[in-house]
Amino acid sequence: MLSAQERAHVAQVWDLIAGHEAAFGAELLLRLFTVYPSTKTYFKHLGVCPDEAQLLTHGQRVLEAVGVAVQHTDHLRAALSPLADLHAQVLRVDPANFPQLIQCFHVMLASHLQGEFTVQMQAAWDKFLTEVAVVLTEKYR
Amino acid sequence: MGFLTAEEKGLVNGLWGKVNVDEVGGEALGRLLVVYPWTQRFFQSFGDLSSADAIMGNSKVKAHGKKVLNSFSDGLKNIDDLKGAFAKLSELHCDKLHVDPENFRLLGNVLVCVLAHHFGHEFNPQVQAAFQKVVAGVASALAHRYH
Repeated sequence: MLSAQERAHVAQVWDLIAGHEAAFGAELLLRLFTVYPSTKTYFKHLGVCPDEAQLLTHGQRVLEAVGVAVQHTDHLRAALSPLADLHAQVLRVDPANFPQLIQCFHVMLASHLQGEFTVQMQAAWDKFLTEVAVVLTEKYR
Repeated sequence: MGFLTAEEKGLVNGLWGKVNVDEVGGEALGRLLVVYPWTQRFFQSFGDLSSADAIMGNSKVKAHGKKVLNSFSDGLKNIDDLKGAFAKLSELHCDKLHVDPENFRLLGNVLVCVLAHHFGHEFNPQVQAAFQKVVAGVASALAHRYH
């Protein structure tokens, strides 16, 4: 559960991302695929070397979902239920992959925002994304 | 080919040459203690760890971070034999310090974040990939002598 302070930090982080979901999403996926190539196994439809257009499209989708989560930090299960169903029944991404995505998210934010991405914001963002990952994989069994 | 490709070695050494090892060490250790507060369990004697500001400003955290990262930096000089380079430290962390190797992976990831923070756009996906390989290798080397 996020404290009020943590929710404020999460909102602060989101303010720096909102409006740029496609660009951030594309970079997030590019970092994920470059650093952890095995994650590409979940994106066969994007091909061996996804192009910029594909990364932007899919990246936007991922970040928009994160945006939904940000708006509903106190009822994540309800807000993310359809996505949780999708992950459990169709996508079935092994839960071990979520920490890798989260790491790439932190690195991306740190490299873009530098001083603006404070240690408190990183702590809250990590806690939040970890909760999102738990919700997305909760219906797996 | 050793542990890293020639290109990856170039990326790593190129960036590492510009790192203020003493400062980055303190920052990385501090960040670890803030973002993953359960890691504070190893540092009960370090004084005030009650808030993010207290941790980041704590002189013992900075001093220890400096020590840890200088060790890491020395290890980088033996990038093709990390297990050999960290053998003694691995035994120390197991037998005397009793540190779960998962903590090495956490610190490695935080270190990568700190480098991204410092180097901004220069810390592109290829550079990140090379460094993630390095920190994974160091973590694995430090865990190697556990029994």
